[in-house]
Amino acid sequence: MSFSKYPFWEVVKHAFSKEVWDTLWPAVWDTLYMVVLSALITLVLGVLLGIALSVISKDGVRPIPVLNETAGTIVNCLRSLPQMIMIIVTLPLARMILGQSYGVNACIIALAASCIPMYARLVQGAFVEIPKGKIEAAKAMGSSSATIVFRVMLPEAVPSIIRGFTVALIGIISMTALAGSFGAGGIGDIAVRFGFNRFYHDMLIASVLVLIVMVEIAQIFGDLLSNLILRKRHLI
Amino acid sequence: MSTYIRIEDLHKSFKNKNEKTEVLKGIDLSINKGEIYGIVGFSGAGKSTLVRCINRLEEPDSGKVWIGDTEITALNKKQLTERRKKIGMIFQQFNLFDSMTVFKNIAYPLKLVGTPKKEIEKKVDKLLELVGLSDKKNAYPGSLSGGQKQRVGIARSLANDPDVLLSDEATSALDPVSTLSILDLLAQINDELGVTIIMITHELEAAKRICGKIAVLENGVITEKGNTRDIFLDPKSSTGKIFLEVYREFRQEHTYSGGGGI
Repeated sequence: MSFSKYPFWEVVKHAFSKEVWDTLWPAVWDTLYMVVLSALITLVLGVLLGIALSVISKDGVRPIPVLNETAGTIVNCLRSLPQMIMIIVTLPLARMILGQSYGVNACIIALAASCIPMYARLVQGAFVEIPKGKIEAAKAMGSSSATIVFRVMLPEAVPSIIRGFTVALIGIISMTALAGSFGAGGIGDIAVRFGFNRFYHDMLIASVLVLIVMVEIAQIFGDLLSNLILRKRHLI
Repeated sequence: MSTYIRIEDLHKSFKNKNEKTEVLKGIDLSINKGEIYGIVGFSGAGKSTLVRCINRLEEPDSGKVWIGDTEITALNKKQLTERRKKIGMIFQQFNLFDSMTVFKNIAYPLKLVGTPKKEIEKKVDKLLELVGLSDKKNAYPGSLSGGQKQRVGIARSLANDPDVLLSDEATSALDPVSTLSILDLLAQINDELGVTIIMITHELEAAKRICGKIAVLENGVITEKGNTRDIFLDPKSSTGKIFLEVYREFRQEHTYSGGGGI
């Protein structure tokens, strides 16, 4: 149903019809699959990379200037690529690893390549926020560097790491939609093929709604979890 | 009593781009076992840097620090980490771990040395009793007052039975009542456990209350040291004189206002 042929409210109403959702549901599952998988990869590798970046930085627990410069430059290069370019750039890589450059799995490489460096910087920020005195106290008690990082800094930074993950998750959702137009499938694909190319505006409205709901859930859940921990520690 | 902590010709400077500021200009200090030794001076005199050089949170440029028979300044990184387990330290900002309960904060140094679980439980209970916070065992530091936080800090610093306790402005962030109770707790610990305490402070009142000896630090140089009594009666250095003057004025003000001083 297009706005040019039907009255506005008719189109909106039709966005909730069975006809639209029969097409949309499989795409929603595809998107969820891509988001969940990339989010997990981003969480694990992003936290690890973030920890590594903060540990080897100039004011870190174990400064390694040369490695810090190199890693910093690579992260910045990856971050400076717009998401669309990142998708195109990683297509040959996906073909090399998976044997095909389209479909939900191929897109996950692009999502991870784009979101891991972004999330790593947020994790690094969370580590920098930890008051220096606490790390000094741990040092003064005779903690090794590894103990300081994993037993002190990581638990202290958890609320910020969760808040950063919410931001990264929303980034992943938006990028998934974009990847849809490059053969990844999912909601983005539906929105472009039906909503844009064929003027199925009911389909477009339904796609937008799904995306809004996904982002809202991510935000609410992330805030909830982070606040829960802060409240438990009596910090808010 | 014999000298336990010895500092010899300690120098430390900080480089800030092209500028080099000398913070410690040849410090010599001997501290006896079981003493409470105060290091007093104004902000920027180098007190904190001096005490942080003792456990090498700050690396001195030159000079030596001895604790007992160990030359701290000659230890390699691994040996230093080991030795630090027996040097307690408390801070102005307490530096407790917000992610851990009071129990876990105090248990942290015990876990570092691989103490069995049952013993940790026992030891923490004993320390909590010592600092009077047994009822706060499962509270998070965020819910405690400043004075209570410092008590947890003291308990944590004592967990591994240190022979030396470094106190870096431990009472400076506290209200007068908490300050007194923390000072008395430090004196009690010194008395009961025989821990040598080095106390940095800019509050002369605090030094006078519990320190047997004090050293006055002025622009990176010790201008005066000796028995607290003697320095109070007849200060020789300018910082000592100013300190005493401020102290007397403070007392007078408080006496006139009917408070009776501290």
